[in-house]
This record gives sequence, structure tokens and C-alpha cells, in this order.
Amino acid sequence: MRKTWKAKTGLAVIAALAISTGVLTTPAKAADPVTITIWTFGDVIQRNLVVEYKALHPEVTLSIKKSDLDPLNGTNMVTACTSKTGPDIVAVEVSYSGYWRSYPKCFQDLRQMKTSDANASAGIAAGLSATELKKDYLSWRWEQGVAYDDSVIGIPTDVGGLEVAYRVDLFKKAGLPTDRAAVSKLWPTWEAFIATGQKYMTKLSAADKKAGKGFIDNAGTIYAAIMNQGTEKYYKNDGTDMGKLTYDTNPQVKKAWNTTIKATESGIGTRIGQYTSDWNIGMNKGTFATILAPAWMMDYIKAQAPDTSGKWDIANLPVSGGNQGGTQLTIPSYAKNKQAAYDFLTWYLAPEQELKVFKTYGLFPAASSTYKDPALLNFKDPFFNNAPVGKIYAEGVSKLKPIFEGKLQRAIDQAIGAGLGRVAAKKMTPAKSWAQVLTDLKKVVNN
Amino acid sequence: MSQLLERKVGRKAPLTPWKKNKKQEVFPGVKSLNGRWGHLFVAPFLIMFLVFGLAPVVYSVYISFFRWDPLGGSEFTGLRNFSILLQDSDFWLAIRNTFSIWALSTFPQMFMAIGLAAIMRNTRLKAKSFFRTILLVPNITSVIAITIVFGQLFGRDFGIINGLLSLAGLDHHIDFIEGVIPSHVAIATMITWRWVGYNTLIFLASMLAIPDELFESASVDGASKWQQFRFVTLPQLKNTITFVLIVGTIGGLQVFAEPQQLAADGGSSKQFLTLTLFLFNQAFVNNKYGYAAAIGIMITFIVLIISVINFFITRKISNDGTR
Repeated sequence: MRKTWKAKTGLAVIAALAISTGVLTTPAKAADPVTITIWTFGDVIQRNLVVEYKALHPEVTLSIKKSDLDPLNGTNMVTACTSKTGPDIVAVEVSYSGYWRSYPKCFQDLRQMKTSDANASAGIAAGLSATELKKDYLSWRWEQGVAYDDSVIGIPTDVGGLEVAYRVDLFKKAGLPTDRAAVSKLWPTWEAFIATGQKYMTKLSAADKKAGKGFIDNAGTIYAAIMNQGTEKYYKNDGTDMGKLTYDTNPQVKKAWNTTIKATESGIGTRIGQYTSDWNIGMNKGTFATILAPAWMMDYIKAQAPDTSGKWDIANLPVSGGNQGGTQLTIPSYAKNKQAAYDFLTWYLAPEQELKVFKTYGLFPAASSTYKDPALLNFKDPFFNNAPVGKIYAEGVSKLKPIFEGKLQRAIDQAIGAGLGRVAAKKMTPAKSWAQVLTDLKKVVNN
Repeated sequence: MSQLLERKVGRKAPLTPWKKNKKQEVFPGVKSLNGRWGHLFVAPFLIMFLVFGLAPVVYSVYISFFRWDPLGGSEFTGLRNFSILLQDSDFWLAIRNTFSIWALSTFPQMFMAIGLAAIMRNTRLKAKSFFRTILLVPNITSVIAITIVFGQLFGRDFGIINGLLSLAGLDHHIDFIEGVIPSHVAIATMITWRWVGYNTLIFLASMLAIPDELFESASVDGASKWQQFRFVTLPQLKNTITFVLIVGTIGGLQVFAEPQQLAADGGSSKQFLTLTLFLFNQAFVNNKYGYAAAIGIMITFIVLIISVINFFITRKISNDGTR
């Protein structure tokens, strides 16, 4: 801290000189030119905001490196932390937060950081640590960025509120209600959701069925949705840092598995894998009528199927709100420009900015203070038939409870996902596939 | 070309060249300088090899005896990783997949390459350099780009290949990801597409090295074009075929990017999990570095076994081929 103050006074002198000699005409907050390196994936760091920050801070260069999620939050971060190097900011997705929460030594404890006055003009007061920022965010979401030793390692960018995106035109064709309130009432439970799907399937023509059309894009996605509606996933919070592995005893796991199998076997899904070329094409062709869509997926749908604008709408997820995905920004402990990074991060994740991101890109704010903001509540998306997406997702995420996440969560999710895939591809019976999942998981946990 | 190959794979190559070269001096007459300068000249390679070649190998042997967490504590577990590995069904599955993909890519590729080379050798063919260049283009294309494009071609519902099959009256859509053999065929196709041109050029070079007299005398004896190909060209290609086979085997054991891009976990039933993908996933997805190191060592053993087999085959061929 002291060092930056010194640098600042020094710079003030230079700035004063510069002004007097006419080099600088505006009394800008001149500071050392600094390059903040950011490792991210997908659309976490939005271009518009980068441009905006650049205008606010001409001296800051944001060097952004995008990778795929798994290598980024896996190999790249492990390598960086092991070799005691690293960028100034890394985006960590929630599926990896359980893992990284066990390694607080790799991250700067954000409770120890204080905002400088660099963004005072943008409404960020000086001297704020993560402890003061906490109240602005959804509490269960905040916990995903808290390490096992209670240090705060990440601040959430968004929450992946999960609802059902459905095709109004296709629902109409199948004789189902099209109004979003009526559609939400169709499925108070997952069983009802499956029943609706079966009803939809009976209305399809033989040609449609032959073309592989279905009610939901991929029945396997139901699993994650149900898991996140519970209070416990694969670990039980037993007071220890690591928690206790309960994937084989937690009834929620079996319930989610069984419901997903039931949905798969009822034939309502198209079996198209998400994020494949088939999926993108199917979205345009109306191959499926519903997608379990996290808020951040809205932008993906818009980009992939621009011609379907206005044909989509958003209804509530069966049972209650859901969650899938979300990211937090962290500062590795070996970052070189921690103060500049923290200033950028607190600005970028401030409620105002998260709201802007939501309106342009659909990432739903994790800053709960925005949920009462009329700008969010009244926000309607013409692509989704003017659905009040802000209000729908806000209600959904407010119903969720914190889930204790453990170190191997991602690996367990993947093994179970593969198990569901085997059943969907009719390569194994559900019982056999589940037995295989347990054998695979034993390897993951023990070896 | 064939001479070069002979030197590479043939037994005639001196097994210990350094012994023969010992007396050659860099600075003739200045005896004291030669030894030292020699060390200096090999130093760049030696340092690179020690840092990037030998050190990681030694280190992975070391960590294969541990339950290794790069970020936290590691514990010595002795041979536990190896005993688990031998009982791990995924390991044997990976061996099966690797060899299946290898066979499906190597042999059809060889037939195609020889066939293409025979066409390219034809004296009546116009624009030779153009075709030779075209053949090499797939080889310099990024593997990831190839996989993305082929992944779309092989799509189950909207892929071109299934589209063509249904035009041909085959309505059953083949799932090129979930099926065991279809997925291997899909991956083998990508490898074949990438390497067939390269191998064609190698075969072509070796075909062009066959003396014209052989063909002339064959045609004087009344051999048809096919007979010339069968009894003159093919026997002359024996060494080249061995070379292509060896290089193909080395490549085949390293198949990684294609299956990884198709599905990072190697498919829901691990139907196209290859050895290197298995290693990668254990290390960089499951963070089991010690276990992954053990897999690496087992792959080394497999390569050793194949090398020994190769060695005997090569020796047999160079003994038979008296040219």
C-alpha cells in the first residue's frame, strides 16, 4: 500500500509538471501504466465493459486470454499455482469452486484487499474490502467463493439461474398452453414435466418423429437441475473443511438419477448433446421445444438461432428455482498487480456493471441488490417474446439454498453424466450403468 | 529415398557410429582441442535434452510411486499406482481402443497411399507438382480444425454423412460418437485424411527410385500393367512399407487430439478413450499426477514391446531383400 501511495505522489508531481508544460490538458488521475492480465472463458469478461473501463482508466491495459473452461480451471491454474506465477485475475466457474476452495494458498484473500480511490468517480468508495462488499451479493452464491479457511477467494460475476426456455410456436402446434404463467403451471413437479413432454410427443407427426424431434433437447440435463434444487450434493457439511463424501448415500442423487432415467426412457428427449453442431442446428430447426436454460444461455440461443427471435419464451423450472453455472473472479496469490486487479474487479462486479452485463448479454447478476431495481424487474427481452426475464430469473434464484461443495464435485458430475449418457445411448441398463458409475467413482475417490 | 530408408531401418546402418567416427578430428593436428570442442558442439542439444527430455522422464518415474498432489501434500505409495492400473478396466479399454483406431487408420491408409502414388507416378499425368502440393495440404491443417469439421460431417442427426446415407435409402442414423466401431471409424478417417497425402509422397519418391530398366524388361517379358505393379513395384516398396508402418505405429500410439475434441472424456462408455487421452485425463482432469505418470511408464513398455517386434520384422526384411 505504502508503495502505491509513494508512486502516486510522485506521479502527481509529474502530472502537475505535465499540465504546466501543456503536455496534459485534462487533470486526469495519472497513474503508472499497468497491464492487468486476465484468464477467462466464454463471455465472462464482456467487451463493452472493457471499453468502458479503458475510458475510465486510460493507463490500464487489460490483457485478456480466453481458454476453454476445463483446461483453464484445471491444468492452467494448477500449473500457475505450482510454479508460483500467474495472471492478475482468473475466472473460476462454480463447478470448480469446490476444488479451488481447498487451496486457499493459491489465492489472494480478498478480505485483506482494500479498494483505492481509483474508481471513486464510478461510485466505488475507497477502502472497501470483500467483507464490506458481501452484503451486495446473493448470500448462497457468495459462499461459493469462500475457501475452507473462510478467506474470500472470489467474488461472483453472475448466477446461473435456471428456468425453462420453450418454443411458443411449437407449444401452440401441439395444443399446449402458450402463456408463460399457464406453461409454468403445467409442471409443478418433474413428473408433470415428463408427462407434458409425453403429451407433446403424441402430437408429433410420424415425419417429425422420424426426423428425431423431441420435447426437450437433452433429457440428461434434468439431472443437474434436480441436484441443484436440493441442499446437498455429493458432500455433507460435517464441520470439517473437506466435508464428507455422500454421493452413494444421499437420496437426492438417486432421486435425480431416477427421474432423469425416467425422462430419458419416456423418449421426450432428442438425445442431441448440448454445445454440439447438431444442437445449434436443432435450435434453428425447432427439433426440440424446450431447453433447461440458465440465464447465461439466453445469449447463446440468440447468437446461434437469430431467426427464431420472438418464438421463445421463458417459464419456471419445475418444483422451484434452479441454478446451473455461474462464475467468480479471483486474484491468484502470485498476481503481480493485485491492487489494480482488485480495483478493476470491484468495479466490474459492482451491481451497476452486473446489471449492464445482464441487459446486454444475459448473464444474471449475482448482486442481489439489483433484484429490486426496476431496471431489472421491468427488463423485457423481445427475443423471448417480451418475457420479463429479469423478474423470472430473480424469483428463481432467490428460492435457492446454499449447497456445500466438495473438492471432487466436477469429477463426480462428469462420471454420473457419462452414466446417464450410456443409458440414453441404450448401451447399458440403468441399473448396470449406475453400478458402473459407482465403480468409476470409487476410482476417482480412492486411487 | 530408398537408400535413405535403408539407412534408417536397415541393418546395414552401423549400430555404433561414434566408434567409427572417433578418429575424425574437428581440428586436424590440434589434438588437445578436439575433445573439448566436441563437448561444446553437442552442448546445446545435450542441455535441451537434459532439461526437456531426460529430467521430465526421471521425474515422472519418481512421482509414479506417489499419490501426487502438485498443490498439496503427496504421499509415497510404492507400486500401488501400478497395481491399480493393471486392474483398471479403463486401461485395458484404452489399449483396445488405441490399437483398434491404429489398425483402422494405418492399413486402409497404406492401400490408398500406394494406389495414389501409383497414379501420381503415371507419366501421362499433367500438373504433377500441383497434385503433390495438394496432397500435403491436409497434413499442415490444424488437427483441431480437422476435428471440428469432421465432427460436423459425422453428426448423428444433421451430419452430411448420415444425410448421404439416408439419401441412399439407409434410414438408420449411425451414431458416430456413441457407437464403438463407428466412433473408431470416424477418428480413423480423420487420421487417414491427414496422413494419406504425406505417405503417398513417400511411396511416390520410392517408386520413382525404381530403375526404369526393371519395368522395361518386365514389359518385354509381356507383363501387364497390373503384373508390373504387383511383381515389380510392390516388392521394391518393401522397405518403404516398413518405414510407413513404423511411423504410423508411433503416431497411432499418440492419438489424442481427435478423440479429445470429439468428447473430452473419451465417450460415455469410454469407447474411444485412447492411451494418451487416458493419461491426460487422469493427470489434468482428475489431478492424479502419480497415477498418470504410471500410465506413461506403461505406455513406454508397450512402445518397447512394439519396437522389439518392429526390430525383428525389419531385420527379417533386410535379410530377405538382398538389394
